[in-house]
Amino acid sequence: MSVVTAAKKIWEAALFAEIWSAMKVTFKHMLHKPITFQYPREQRTIPDAHRGALGLLRYDDGKERCVGCDLCEVACPSHCIKVISAEDKSLPLQRYASEFYIDITKCVFCGYCVEACPVNALAMTKMYEFSTHDKRTLLFDKQRLYEIGEKHLEDAKKYLYAHGQEKNDQMYHDYRYFFPQSVKQSTQPPPKHLT
Amino acid sequence: MGLKPATNPDVEAASIELTIDGRTVTAKDGVSLYDVISSTGKIIPAMCYHYTFDPFGSCGMCLVMQEGKKSPVRSCTAKAAAGMIVRTEGDDLFQARKKAVEKHLSVHPLDCPVCDADGHCELQDMAFQHQVTTLANAKQKLIPEDTRSLVLDFNMNRCIACGECINICKDVQMIDALQFIKKGGFTQVVAKGDTQLACEFCGDCLAVCPVGAITNKFSKYLYKPWQLKKTTTTCNYCGDGCQMQVETKDNEVVRVTSPLSWKNKWGDRSETAQGHGGLCVRGRFGFQFIDSKARLVQPLIRKGAKLAESPWIETIETVVGRLADIKAKYGSSAVAGLITARCSNEELYLFQKLMRAAIGTNQLDSSARYGHLNFVHAVQHALGVGRMTNDSADITKAKAILVVGSNVTETNPVFSLRVKEAIRVYKSQVIVVDSANTNLAKLASHPVLVKPGTEGLFVKGLIKSVIEQDLIDTEVTGKHAQALAALKQAVAGLSLDTVVSATGVSEDQINEAATVFAEAPRSVIICGEGIVRRPNGYQHVLALIDLLWVTGKLGKPGCGINTVTEEANEQGAVDMGTSPEFLPGQVAFDNDDARTKFSKAWSTPLPNKGTGVGFMDILKKCRNGEIKALYLVGENPLGTLPASAEVKAALEKLELLIVQDPFMTETAQIAHVVLPACTFAEKDGTMTSQDGKVQRIRQTMDPIGESLPDWQILSAVGSGLGCVSMEYESSHDIQREIMKVLPGYYNLGQPKKVTVNPDRYLANGYQAGVAARYRAEQKAADGGKRFSLTMGQLLYHSGKLSTQASGLLLIASSTGQLHMNQQDMERVGLKDGDRVRVSSAKGSAVLSAKADLSVLPDSCFYPEHFNNPPVKDLMAVEVDAVTGVPYFKQAAVSVEKA
Repeated sequence: MSVVTAAKKIWEAALFAEIWSAMKVTFKHMLHKPITFQYPREQRTIPDAHRGALGLLRYDDGKERCVGCDLCEVACPSHCIKVISAEDKSLPLQRYASEFYIDITKCVFCGYCVEACPVNALAMTKMYEFSTHDKRTLLFDKQRLYEIGEKHLEDAKKYLYAHGQEKNDQMYHDYRYFFPQSVKQSTQPPPKHLT
Repeated sequence: MGLKPATNPDVEAASIELTIDGRTVTAKDGVSLYDVISSTGKIIPAMCYHYTFDPFGSCGMCLVMQEGKKSPVRSCTAKAAAGMIVRTEGDDLFQARKKAVEKHLSVHPLDCPVCDADGHCELQDMAFQHQVTTLANAKQKLIPEDTRSLVLDFNMNRCIACGECINICKDVQMIDALQFIKKGGFTQVVAKGDTQLACEFCGDCLAVCPVGAITNKFSKYLYKPWQLKKTTTTCNYCGDGCQMQVETKDNEVVRVTSPLSWKNKWGDRSETAQGHGGLCVRGRFGFQFIDSKARLVQPLIRKGAKLAESPWIETIETVVGRLADIKAKYGSSAVAGLITARCSNEELYLFQKLMRAAIGTNQLDSSARYGHLNFVHAVQHALGVGRMTNDSADITKAKAILVVGSNVTETNPVFSLRVKEAIRVYKSQVIVVDSANTNLAKLASHPVLVKPGTEGLFVKGLIKSVIEQDLIDTEVTGKHAQALAALKQAVAGLSLDTVVSATGVSEDQINEAATVFAEAPRSVIICGEGIVRRPNGYQHVLALIDLLWVTGKLGKPGCGINTVTEEANEQGAVDMGTSPEFLPGQVAFDNDDARTKFSKAWSTPLPNKGTGVGFMDILKKCRNGEIKALYLVGENPLGTLPASAEVKAALEKLELLIVQDPFMTETAQIAHVVLPACTFAEKDGTMTSQDGKVQRIRQTMDPIGESLPDWQILSAVGSGLGCVSMEYESSHDIQREIMKVLPGYYNLGQPKKVTVNPDRYLANGYQAGVAARYRAEQKAADGGKRFSLTMGQLLYHSGKLSTQASGLLLIASSTGQLHMNQQDMERVGLKDGDRVRVSSAKGSAVLSAKADLSVLPDSCFYPEHFNNPPVKDLMAVEVDAVTGVPYFKQAAVSVEKA
């Protein structure tokens, strides 16, 4: 080791040069915006296509969309959906889900159920916080699913648009399949010989 | 029958050759082109075709190109002709078929997600197969759903007007309850006359509907086909042994389907001759008893006046301990047992083994005693066989069918379809002898209405007529001249005039029936409850065998004598030896070889000869205190037998009454121990149908509650009593044992043809019996009671079991209605629904009167399934001297306004 390098080393040690070079990085970060954010005090903006908690939707007039067709149940790869359907006695031919369960602990958030739904009754929302003291509350029943759907209606609609399930209003109306409405009486009079 | 192969089995249709897709094919002349093509293994789509009826040709899917024709032709309605050149594939045909699918879809609501047929729909399959993605001119029918029927909903929006439902109802069932009607601008299927559907509710229309236009009310919207676990099993209601598919979801029965469906539509008459795979109302809609709320779920032991729940181990210990105590105290002759013929073969075998090997008593019987045992004894005695002698195909192809005392369309609806097919396809002449105007009588060529209880006398009249008209087959009877002479002598005392006056049938009718029966090349007899289960049933069956013999039909192929059974496994009960006179395999209990065989197999000596006690004698011995313990498996004598049999007094005298049943029966309520048993849907095993088919029953679901299969309980009790050879792991172990003692019994549903040999019977001892058989019967004095009350079976019920099925109760419930003839009602001064007092020598009951067209004057009918009010208590019990069969279904009564 030459005398010059030795002197330089002593000089640097005396001035704590290594600490200053390290602090340079620190001070540099004080001058630009932080990359992390303060969850849960700060919430992230979530994209529309985000697959979060499932909710059940209603039509604008408040009628349940779900017809209890069990197609979500068969599409679900983790078998977390259970639909029990029945006939609505007041409306002939109207099938509906009398009970609807989603075990969200089993759900893998693949979104297949939403794709399978013929009436867009199911949608995913931006809600993803499920922490709870009681795991049993994570078995969502029909009432809970409708609550989620109501609370996150805007998000749910955005999800459906983002995934091409529902288009903008006019297009959506053309695209959406409407079930034949329940018919209470004949639309044409019976033939003469029967009256 | 235009387009199906020539149906007369005696005439062979000419053979023709035609070319299909370049291959030369041989076919029968006059066959539908579609049948010929499907026989080569090619499957052309067709939505309105089903092999059970004639081609209808409405769907337009089965198109083929025929050389010489410009446009495609419908192959189903085209007849195959010699030299035809046919092409079944190609793009032009694909496009033509696609067009047909689009036509159907354009008026079909696309409500697949909520449709019950979703995933099991031919139109869906066809749309997928033909890649239909867009529809140019779709419109909706907007027809309200027809929910008037009790069991079926008609959603005519979905109907594709294929007509399968109408055709199967008209051609196969011969009910003709459905029709097309043009209403609301569309052709729709409605019940005849556009009213509420009132038919036999067999549900075959539901089975063949290729779309979801006809749906089952009991399972509507409850399932998707792919969610259901399908188990093929054997129906538990009657002896027909129909195969059915029980479909369950989460241990609940959702629906029952039949092998008959639009999915298997290819076949021909050779298959329908054995049965078309359908079900009746009981099988298809009477499944609710399986997971009924009324099922017993826990063993019960009597503590004072109450039955208290108790765990299985304790209960079995109690049963074993008390049985052992009674055996030690009073000897094994103080124990007896009765079992129902709805149990499986394995359980019946195990029960008699429990009684004979573990307890050491021959006091056991099954419900076959008051079922078809008279018939078994008669054919055993005369012909050396123990069951009906024909199979279904023989009955279908018979030229003359004599149906005696059997309302077969009600008791065994699927078996009756063989008779209907014989009438329709094979043009056979059917003589229906009954004391009611049965549904079959309405279709038959020779309906004979006799006075109640004179069916047997009419049979004797037939023999008399055969002899008088000299219709005797001299070739056959010549071999046994002595027997013929004895028969002639016996019949000499009987004059046709007495028959005419007693039965109310004219002499011409008797003579014509005798001629038809004797002159047909293939004649079969079907005898039912109206003769087998009535006084002198045993002798009357022997008289029917005489009739077969003198007309030369005995042993001739295609001829024979048959019976129908009410309970599913009556034949198995006899075959498994659950009666004091038989060991398993229908060998006499006193047969020394058999006794050594079985005592070796069970490694224990059998009860002594001559200690056997049958049904009625067991009850008598209970009453006089000789029997102290009675083990009832599924039997409910308190609910079945009339009060005059004094069952209650008998059962109350017992020290130990064990009832093993799925339901809380009347008898179970007074039992000391109640063991919850499974129904047929929760266990494995086999059943023997009336024609000898040994068919499997399979476990469709887990047992309800803590109930256990009967064999498991019997095995536990048997091994508890120290019978080491009664420890079984599964019902297959029992099967293995039965295979060892009865080699060849498990015939996989294909019984061997029965060969009858009456020579031994005719050569020895025939003369002795025949004289007594034709002696004039003493008609019991009716004491001024001019009405004859018959208790019988309804189409919608079977025994007491079906009264636990809510679906069947919806169709026919206990209404307390006495079915009466209209004229009688006018004479007594009654209107529909009036209260009437029915009195017999044994008591009286107040019922409401109901006019019934099928009931003859001077008779009335009450369904035997309902005990509210207890009409059964009006009956007296008469016991057959030879076979020990109790008769308690007919009584002389007076009817007056209450």
